[in-house]
Amino acid sequence: MSELVAELENHTARYVEAVNAGDFETVEKFYTADAVAVWEPGKPLTGDERRKYQREFLEARPRMAAKPRQVFVTGETALMIVDWTIDITGADGTTEHLAGVGVDVLTRGEDNVWRYAIDDPFGQAS
Amino acid sequence: MTTEASPTHPPEGNRIPMSATPATSATSFTVPFDPERPDLTADTDIQNEIFIQVFNSGDGELFNRLYLDDSISNFSGEPLTGAARLAFFKEFLASKPTLEARVTHSYVAGDVALIGVEYAIDSTGPDGEPVRLEGVCTDVLRKTEDGRWLMAIDRPVAATGLVADQ
Repeated sequence: MSELVAELENHTARYVEAVNAGDFETVEKFYTADAVAVWEPGKPLTGDERRKYQREFLEARPRMAAKPRQVFVTGETALMIVDWTIDITGADGTTEHLAGVGVDVLTRGEDNVWRYAIDDPFGQAS
Repeated sequence: MTTEASPTHPPEGNRIPMSATPATSATSFTVPFDPERPDLTADTDIQNEIFIQVFNSGDGELFNRLYLDDSISNFSGEPLTGAARLAFFKEFLASKPTLEARVTHSYVAGDVALIGVEYAIDSTGPDGEPVRLEGVCTDVLRKTEDGRWLMAIDRPVAATGLVADQ
């Protein structure tokens, strides 16, 4: 079990690297085909809408940091509670600082790879 | 949502009690529910109703059937699975605490779902005093190979009381 937890914590670290590299193609590989992302509270996105939002978000070159607070793994399903911050520098040079406690649901595919099925970055109030 | 007794719910007289389970014929459900083959379904409102009604039945063995064998429940304050989870549910529900829950959000991605609820559990303390536990709970459900939806992971975070991990 601890190996699985380490694997998932590493998953988060590699995801953050891909986001900070602004690499859409790599970031996209971290999601299942029918993943749901709730980057704006109350507005779940899936499919092409999710990918379009992700692509535009990465073009702004956000700087992300994330640390899993809790990891629960059972069979092909995992729940991660993650403390994260994102800084985005606007065209005018000012930086917007975002922070939250994310609720991530991951599933393990038949290829044994864990991917985000549900990405709810504002999923927990604190 | 209008709900009626399910045609799949066996008539009380025909129920075959499982050997390890006391007859729970006093338990009736206002939503479609087969105690021998529970399915929380993909419908958020039905999920919540089944969860509440099975919890409030006081039958820990039945409540445990809403979970897969390797599912993780944090109701006790620590992650429990298998026999330890069943033992906790039986002990916790034996005094028939009552649950109220309201769904705050729900997302489905293929064969996995994330549900958020606000809950309140009313029970009786050791000296007979009323005890209310309140908080929010994150539930992850999976669709099984036979098409049923069951709990995979629950994670309550209490605003008050003991059902919490932090």
